[in-house]
Amino acid sequence: MFGFLARRLPSVVFMLLATSVIAFLLPRLAGGDPAQTIAGADATAEQVAAIRVELGLDQPVYAQYGRWLGDLLVGDLGTSLITSRPVGQLIMARLGSTLELAIAATVLMVVLGIGLGILAGSIRKGAGRAGLDGAVSVLLATPPHVTGLILILVLGITFNLLPISGEVSVLRDPLVGISLLIMPALALALPQAAMIARLIQARMYQVRQEEFVDLAIAKGVPPRRIVLSHILRNSMGTAVVATGIRVGELLAGAVVIEAIFARNGLGLMAVDAVSSRDYQVVQIVVLGAVVIAVLVHLLSEILLAALDPRIRLQ
Amino acid sequence: MTATNPTETHAGGRRRLMGEGLGRYIAALGQPKGLIGSGLLVLLVLAAVFAPILFPGGVDQQSRDSFLLPSLLHPFGTDELGRDIFVRCVYALQVSISLVIVAVPIAAVLGTLMGLSGAISGLLGEAFQRVFDIILGFPSLVLGICIVIVIGPGWLALATTIVVFSLPQFGRLARGALLSEQGREYVLAARVLGVSRPKIMIRHILPNALDPIFVQVSLSMIGGIFIEAALSIVGLGIQPPTPSLGTLLNVGIRYVYAQPMYTAGPIIMLLLLALAFNLIADALNAQVLKTRGE
Repeated sequence: MFGFLARRLPSVVFMLLATSVIAFLLPRLAGGDPAQTIAGADATAEQVAAIRVELGLDQPVYAQYGRWLGDLLVGDLGTSLITSRPVGQLIMARLGSTLELAIAATVLMVVLGIGLGILAGSIRKGAGRAGLDGAVSVLLATPPHVTGLILILVLGITFNLLPISGEVSVLRDPLVGISLLIMPALALALPQAAMIARLIQARMYQVRQEEFVDLAIAKGVPPRRIVLSHILRNSMGTAVVATGIRVGELLAGAVVIEAIFARNGLGLMAVDAVSSRDYQVVQIVVLGAVVIAVLVHLLSEILLAALDPRIRLQ
Repeated sequence: MTATNPTETHAGGRRRLMGEGLGRYIAALGQPKGLIGSGLLVLLVLAAVFAPILFPGGVDQQSRDSFLLPSLLHPFGTDELGRDIFVRCVYALQVSISLVIVAVPIAAVLGTLMGLSGAISGLLGEAFQRVFDIILGFPSLVLGICIVIVIGPGWLALATTIVVFSLPQFGRLARGALLSEQGREYVLAARVLGVSRPKIMIRHILPNALDPIFVQVSLSMIGGIFIEAALSIVGLGIQPPTPSLGTLLNVGIRYVYAQPMYTAGPIIMLLLLALAFNLIADALNAQVLKTRGE
């Protein structure tokens, strides 16, 4: 296991460092002078210069990066130049909303993805197969925002089953909270679930060709049992890794989904921060999104290696 | 299409017939799927190009009544200011189509060259692969936000996002072709004959990498159209008053109870565009696999 980790670690560290450099450079590439922003339009040159020294902007860029990264590692996410509040505080205020959405969407993604994948991998002919393949293809090709808007039009307007916008914490009022959560979570989950289903289906076809399946058929194992304990069991690794890869894209979808469903989460905060040029907030959200995506991906690979000795001993 | 399709291949200096390569793609579009897809696409492009002639009133022409239900005169009804939603959707096609027609080919050429660059220098090829890794690590919307911050919201930021987002897709395909072709005899023969490395890359390996890249062009167009919609819905894409499918949805979703067609109209246009490109990609893919005998 340590050998496996040692092989994977360099690329993960490289990715994290590269992302941190990009996040660090974002406010600087955006132009504008943060010292001037803080000082206000009618500050004297001396005042601006003093603030610049205070922020460390008079130092070379690599020194600024080192200080910024060091602060991050001890948990200081910086201060918003627009609202003058610590970025950590701003994020904590919105975290709950996005966390609820992300958890609901991830659960739906895993359940629907694996369920659809097993169905599509087990049914090999007939109208059911064609219908299922078509449905998965359509879901796969439709991104979350379009899925979300279609859900609003169908479930919210045409059939009037679910409320279309707003949010109530599930912890405060479970029933209303969940009814408001279903559509945005489904919208985020469906495209990724379709992707997972496709991968599991392909893997199941592949495993079906292996000799141990022939052996099981020859010795008279019932078909249902072959699918469940022979084919499926050997396809689960794909499901784990597929889930790990899709989590990042799922989280990023929250940016649009929160705007569409009027949920006051981190995605909406990021969008508002870009509009108000609050780059200190944006850079942390960008960094956070990529770091979480990379770490979840790594976690899924570790899980796979634990499940399948062939991977870690390769 | 023809700009990236070299006419010569193989060390013997035999000229590949241009018609052979291009003919297969045209034949693909003659299949039922390809015919419907390209027909639909031509229709949408013509509607977008000739929108000013078809609807000389322009996007802002108002009628007296807001939120009219769909009728023969207003197929998608009217919006909060009494403007015809169908007309605005057709004009909005101009933005989506112009974006992907400019951005995706740029990404295809750049990405392919970056992917094949390993033929010139192994180190260069590796370096570009790392760049692709970083891009792939960024979810598409996060990438869009970063680019909007640097460039500022608008058409250019959207086009750049689509280029950067699509680059690795082409780069990976080209890299795959490079790795599988690199060890073949004709490449070794060319190298022994003293053909320069850039020439081997363009004249010998590139023609063998083109098929999947053309399919990917069609697929990346779909991705680009959806990226425009996503960023414009949250207000970071095309800026009002220019109608784009995303900006229409941005406003339309606020009036979804009063006028469901305000949301459904742009969605229909998005899905029609996606369907057209999907059918074309499918047809190209089937034809390419058939002629390769796979």
